[in-house]
Amino acid sequence: MAKRLNLTKWYAYLDVCQSLSGVLLAVFLWTHLLLVSSILLGGEAMAWVARTMELSFLSADGQGYPWVVSLIAIGVAGLALVHAVPALQKMPLTLRQHAALRTQMHSIDHGDTRLWYWQALTGGVILLLLPVHLWLIGSAPETIGPQGSGHRIWAQGAWLLYLPLLLAVELHAAIGIYRVVLKWGAARGLDTRIWLKKLKTLVSLLFIAIGLASLLAFLPYAPLAG
Amino acid sequence: MTTRLIPTVTDTGSAGRRLTFNIFRFDPQENGDKPKMVSYSLDETPGMTIFIALNRLRDEQDSSLQFDFVCRAGICGSCAMVINGLPTLACRTLTTRYPKGEITLMPLPGFELIGDLSVNTGKFMRQLAERLQLWLHPREGEQSIHALEQAMDPDEAARLYELERCVECGVCVSACATKQMRDTFVGAVGLMKIARFELDSRDGRSVEDFYHVIGNQDGVFGCMTLLGCQDNCPKDLPHMQQIAYLRRKMAMTLL
Repeated sequence: MAKRLNLTKWYAYLDVCQSLSGVLLAVFLWTHLLLVSSILLGGEAMAWVARTMELSFLSADGQGYPWVVSLIAIGVAGLALVHAVPALQKMPLTLRQHAALRTQMHSIDHGDTRLWYWQALTGGVILLLLPVHLWLIGSAPETIGPQGSGHRIWAQGAWLLYLPLLLAVELHAAIGIYRVVLKWGAARGLDTRIWLKKLKTLVSLLFIAIGLASLLAFLPYAPLAG
Repeated sequence: MTTRLIPTVTDTGSAGRRLTFNIFRFDPQENGDKPKMVSYSLDETPGMTIFIALNRLRDEQDSSLQFDFVCRAGICGSCAMVINGLPTLACRTLTTRYPKGEITLMPLPGFELIGDLSVNTGKFMRQLAERLQLWLHPREGEQSIHALEQAMDPDEAARLYELERCVECGVCVSACATKQMRDTFVGAVGLMKIARFELDSRDGRSVEDFYHVIGNQDGVFGCMTLLGCQDNCPKDLPHMQQIAYLRRKMAMTLL
């Protein structure tokens, strides 16, 4: 074991962890958004998805176990931490580094550097907003459903949190997957990179649209909850 | 994505065009001199490159203008500078690329400024070579001058020559925001040269030896895949693929 966890290989671990956790988080994010978007098919559909995610099919009374959602929230928080720690090291942390980045972006015109800048920026936004989201959901998993979520989003004002989080996370994830594919050499040709970049933009826009539509779809359910 | 410039017969330059050059001027040797942008005007001639234009400006208008060049054919890597926001070689950039006729020239960022458009890339490259030991370390017992040399596999030779095409112009270093933020980062040129020896079957260094040199934040794991190197390299070297190869190779040492 001592041989396995070699400290001189620290940076290799960090790099692999950052990429791997990023891919897992992106897959989770997109699955999560698709599940939530079941509200677009109606309250019944969303209630069924929420029940099923709480493993209702395993419980005798069909109510399921809301704590499963809390567990998932804890898992996501853990993954996010594994992702954020190596990522933070690469951010411009000192004033000198900030100045260098600004000068660079000002003097040299380069699209992918701008993409990274957006990724870093949205990463910061996610770092602030994700814990709030995870706490809201993880501490009250039983409220997830058309009425409960509608109430939370529109009556209690969680849309103020979800709107910036949705925009930040959908940009961050798609840019991140694009970068991770290039980073590890999964896209060999330069043509692949061009269509990959287009695909990334499309994915961002698509999921932002689905997210916005879903948020709005909760609106009719909001006044029903007391 | 890459801006490749191969002069063709159609690139003859529009006759009678008057070009405006905004050139960064600063001489660190001169007491009290302050960095400034100076504007010059010049008539375009057929097939004019930035390199030709600069020589004419120096001959005809301002003999104090400093810039580097040797080969004027994209081989020596001396004339790299930032042309309208893109770092590239002046000798391979035609003035016809700029329909507005406005051309802004800045020295490569990230290097010691000698004066105006001239930077000291040589000092950086030498330090890099010493730090990363960018020369062949023969395998044990293969140094006998009496032994017959092993012929290299042609495919391997081709792979090495591909990477040997680097002219050390410094464009990848200037185009890399990571390098600008982290002084000690080796940049694409360093990784490219390390990869060249890693691929060389005659080199005796093991993957662990290479890990020792580039398996950190200053090496391959510091690269954030911003791809400024890939998009600006005037020799179109495969930086993206090469760095990914090294990253996989170094990460594999974990297994």
